[in-house]
Amino acid sequence: MTKILDEPRYACALGAAQTVQAIYRAVPIFHSGPGCAGRVSGNSGTGYLSTNTFPCSNIGEAEVVFGGEGKLREVIANSLKVIDGDLFVVLSGCTTEIVGDDIVQVVGEFEDASKPILHVNTPGFKGTNYEGHEWVVDALIKQYLSTLPKGEKIKGLVNIWGPVPSHDPYWIGDFRELENLVREIGLTPNIIFGEHRGIENLNNVPLAEFNLLVSPWVGLQNVQLLEEKFGTPFLHYPTLPSGAHESSEFLRAVAQFAGLPPEPVEQIIARHEEEYYYHIERNVSVFFENRTASKMFSTVSTAHRALSVAKFLVNDFGLMPNKQYITENVPEKHKARIAQYFKEFNYNIQAEAVFETDGYKIHEQIKQEYYAGPPLIAGSIFEKKITKELDGNFICISSPFSQKVVLHSSYVGYHGGLKFLEDLYTGVYQTYN
Amino acid sequence: MAKEIKKIAIYGKGGIGKSTTTSNISAALVEAGYKVLQFGCDPKSDSTNTLRGGKYIPTVLDLLRQNPNVDAHDAIFQGFQGVYCVEAGGPAPGVGCAGRGIITAVELLKQQHIFEELDLDFVIFDVLGDVVCGGFAVPVREGIAEHVFTVSSSDFMSVYASNNLMKGIKKYSNQGGALFGGIIANSINSDYQKSIIDDFVDKTGTKVIEYVPRSITVTQAELSGRTTIEAAPNTPQADIYRSLARKIAAHTESRVPTPLEIDALREWSANWADQLLAIETNEVRGERAGI
Ligand SMILES: Nc1ncnc2c1ncn2[C@@H]1O[C@H](COP(=O)(O)OP(=O)(O)O)[C@@H](O)[C@H]1O
Ligand SMILES: [Mg+2]
Repeated sequence: MTKILDEPRYACALGAAQTVQAIYRAVPIFHSGPGCAGRVSGNSGTGYLSTNTFPCSNIGEAEVVFGGEGKLREVIANSLKVIDGDLFVVLSGCTTEIVGDDIVQVVGEFEDASKPILHVNTPGFKGTNYEGHEWVVDALIKQYLSTLPKGEKIKGLVNIWGPVPSHDPYWIGDFRELENLVREIGLTPNIIFGEHRGIENLNNVPLAEFNLLVSPWVGLQNVQLLEEKFGTPFLHYPTLPSGAHESSEFLRAVAQFAGLPPEPVEQIIARHEEEYYYHIERNVSVFFENRTASKMFSTVSTAHRALSVAKFLVNDFGLMPNKQYITENVPEKHKARIAQYFKEFNYNIQAEAVFETDGYKIHEQIKQEYYAGPPLIAGSIFEKKITKELDGNFICISSPFSQKVVLHSSYVGYHGGLKFLEDLYTGVYQTYN
Repeated sequence: MAKEIKKIAIYGKGGIGKSTTTSNISAALVEAGYKVLQFGCDPKSDSTNTLRGGKYIPTVLDLLRQNPNVDAHDAIFQGFQGVYCVEAGGPAPGVGCAGRGIITAVELLKQQHIFEELDLDFVIFDVLGDVVCGGFAVPVREGIAEHVFTVSSSDFMSVYASNNLMKGIKKYSNQGGALFGGIIANSINSDYQKSIIDDFVDKTGTKVIEYVPRSITVTQAELSGRTTIEAAPNTPQADIYRSLARKIAAHTESRVPTPLEIDALREWSANWADQLLAIETNEVRGERAGI
């Protein structure tokens, strides 16, 4: 039964337009009402196209009654005329799906168009923006990549998947850091999202030696599909690495999967760790002599971010985990596996993953928990107030943000771990000094 | 002060005789001196054909398709003895949402206060039967109609549709929706058919308004593009429609029906299937015995 959701932290499947937008020179076409299009594109910034210029069929009552296929046809035809894009992706909203518009057929009529046009059914009632993201990538694989002429695999080329544009503003920095890490051990990263990568990188996806998925669940079905379609094996690495410990583990795992000799990788790791711990040691007084320091923490975020931050705080920074709240309405089939990830910290430390989408219910539980001092809450802007009530420490790691502006920074990698500590203790200083 | 308009909706499974019955009721009412508007709410758009010499009229949705600012007057046509005819219309089969189309068409006439302006005594909605989605329930909701009747034969599918309609009415009944007036039993030519319908109304706390036999007069009238009232005014069938119209005109008290739950309905029909089988075998035995 539908209920009222307090403080939702995800958008509807149509929000996957952001995934399309993140591919340089790709154009989302909304087959929806103008309100839906406005809502989901409102906070994703501009890019090659301003979100205000995204084509939309602007369906109204007449299209509901008579069907909106004619209007969609018109919008596609005109978009091709006036927008200089490399790839167009039609996304359907709830209303057009309920009315039963056949977007597959309409898009099919444009088979001979000068640019590829794809279709994805993304009604909000079917899923979240995270699932929508997966459907868009599946569409890219099935409707576009599968139609390209077959090519030779490129040695050392690795597709990287995991971060979801642009709901979490760290997505782009995260991709860049993953890219850097992978490149350092001698592989060639290939990412389709972000600045000026675009269709060229997309075209290279089938040629990769393997796919690297750095996420607990989002994208798993995509790398499975890539394996099925192009015979590309994949490494599913659930933890987005943050800090020295996790980054080193990550590099070892990727190197091993790629069949790289371990010694050079260990040298790279040693060099990074030396630098990393130099900064930790230098500032140890900040971390441990601060009487406000927290001992226990909870994360309130997507499985992706919560796992990353929790692993960092436990395995690297030595805090104890309390309940970890997973907020993005994770599909049922992934829950058990994700819960298990939170039971695999070092020193046999375990945490309980709580799958809860409702902010009120999360806050009620946090209030009941024992934190052995001021709690550290790593969550969204919704957790700021409750943290204050509990005299705890707060760091914003999750959507909705509206707490800080993120341009390109990231908590991923060795530098990302340090950046996390900078932000965390900046918050502590601002609260107490 | 405008007079009270009696608003009636007639539902029933497709092909059961809604339009035939509704048009004859409308014809009988205008014949008796009332001012009547018949509103066809079925994408088939043929509700009012026999009131207008068998001809189709442009539908509200046809007009809306051409011009979003339709003047509702353009959708109103007059037929037999001045009866007003409107067809809601619908999208092409397989596209759009017919239910939303009905909502749009009904709202358009309501917004433009057509019923009041025409100084009507009766508005009769002829609505596609199984209440498949919210759109087809619109005449039941928000007091657009006050009394709902269903046309049903003794066939199970038709009874099933009537039961569904009752469920829809029950759902809206505490929100100012229409109430159930009764069943117009159509194509009832034998005792067992009558018993089936009688048993059903008994079980659901309602009543039969009129038993209408299946008659070739109706077919002949339809083929000449007319209602039975117009084409064969001096026949027993026309008199039955007149009687039905009088009862509907006099009808004031509708009720919240008590439809059967699906399991009960299935059991009910299974029971009747057994009884019919028994009747049939008896007949066969009787025939043999007669030889
Ligand atoms: N009592 C009746 N006697 C003979 N034919 C009938 C009778 N009622 C309906 N019919 C015929 O059944 C067919 C379907 O009727 P119609 O009123 O169009 O059904 P509906 O509007 O429910 O779809 C028509 O050909 C009509 O003439
Ligand atoms: Mg009809």
